Amino acid sequence: MMMFNALLKKLMNRGDESKNVAKKRLKFALVYDKLEIKEDMLEDLQRDLIEVISRYFEIDRQQMSLDIERSEESSALIMNTPILAARHKKPQRNNARA
Amino acid sequence: MEGKVVVVTSGKGGVGKTTVTASLGAALALQGKRVAVVDMDIGLRNLDVIMGLENRIVFNVVDVVQGRCKLKQAMIKDRRINNLYLIPASQSDEKNVIQPENMKWLCNRLKKEFDFTLLDCPAGIEQGFKNSIEAADEAIVVCMPEISSVRDADRVIGLLYSRSITPKLVVNRIIPKMVERGDMLSHKDVVEVLSIDLIGLVEMDESVVVSSNTGLPIVMQKESKAGKAFMQIAMRMNGHPDLPVEDPMAPKSFWKKLGGKISRKNKVH
Ligand SMILES: Nc1ncnc2c1ncn2[C@@H]1O[C@H](COP(=O)(O)OP(=O)(O)OP(=O)(O)O)[C@@H](O)[C@H]1O
Ligand SMILES: [Mg+2]
Repeated sequence: MMMFNALLKKLMNRGDESKNVAKKRLKFALVYDKLEIKEDMLEDLQRDLIEVISRYFEIDRQQMSLDIERSEESSALIMNTPILAARHKKPQRNNARA
Repeated sequence: MEGKVVVVTSGKGGVGKTTVTASLGAALALQGKRVAVVDMDIGLRNLDVIMGLENRIVFNVVDVVQGRCKLKQAMIKDRRINNLYLIPASQSDEKNVIQPENMKWLCNRLKKEFDFTLLDCPAGIEQGFKNSIEAADEAIVVCMPEISSVRDADRVIGLLYSRSITPKLVVNRIIPKMVERGDMLSHKDVVEVLSIDLIGLVEMDESVVVSSNTGLPIVMQKESKAGKAFMQIAMRMNGHPDLPVEDPMAPKSFWKKLGGKISRKNKVH
């Protein structure tokens, strides 16, 4: 009887084996853990972004915000910045022709 | 030629670091290597009792790095196994009495004399961990097939990578019967999740407890499954990296054996 039950369990609910639940939870946890970043990294990123964007747009640096939004399914990097004006000159690059 | 310094670590506590360090130390020495094992768990030493050397301690690793004794004086020679030495931890000091530079200095000296220096790392990722990985050339990460242990292993693996060490994995305390019925992660699941190389598997084995009771190295116990597993891991560390890892098998009952035979027959037809 025991054997039959075990067999049935194997045939019927493969996906319900508790180790599969563990594996799924684990994979999610590891991805989620790695999204956690240090506050100073976000600050560095913000500084770098301002520098790059400023080559193309005049922006209000004080109003700019940068955040990570997490939901159960996904995470997103959300940046919000008011544009004051576009810069119409081509940005200066090292290898750009004059 | 200089030897290697290998740190045994896990993040999570109680998963088998000390057992692995003691057993691999003994196994490598039995295979003819010169081995030093160092207990880095300052304040909570245990490697000495697991190796059965607890009543021979005079000096410890803190005494060595603080210059209170010579390195030789703190090394306890195992009288049952040739070329195996223990440097015990101090039981009374704080973890931060040792700094990473001290460990570099110590390990550089040990490397000149020993083929393998194994460091038994404390649980966690604080000072004791940092001291241990600072001096390491290689790492063994121990984990149990269980969700919190694997998660902590992942964290530690990340920290090792950032020090340019690519660790190898030991999955400890596997219960084949539970794996078979789908109630325990298999070593393959763990390897898939952590995506690092496996260096060995150790089953949950009563003889590990017996060996810790007596202080007799598990690799010297005939018929111990765990002992055999440790001998194989030592071989893989020691010039035979391709020695295959066998799948653990649950002991089969009569009915299961019969069932297996029948299903095999069916496959043939
Ligand atoms: N394969 C095994 N089978 C049975 N018991 C085991 C096995 N491996 C370890 N143990 C037992 O698990 C317990 C913890 O092992 P151990 O002390 O080696 O872990 P640890 O990682 O060093 O712990 P800590 O983080 O506290 O230093 C011990 O009682 C040991 O005997
Ligand atoms: Mg320990």
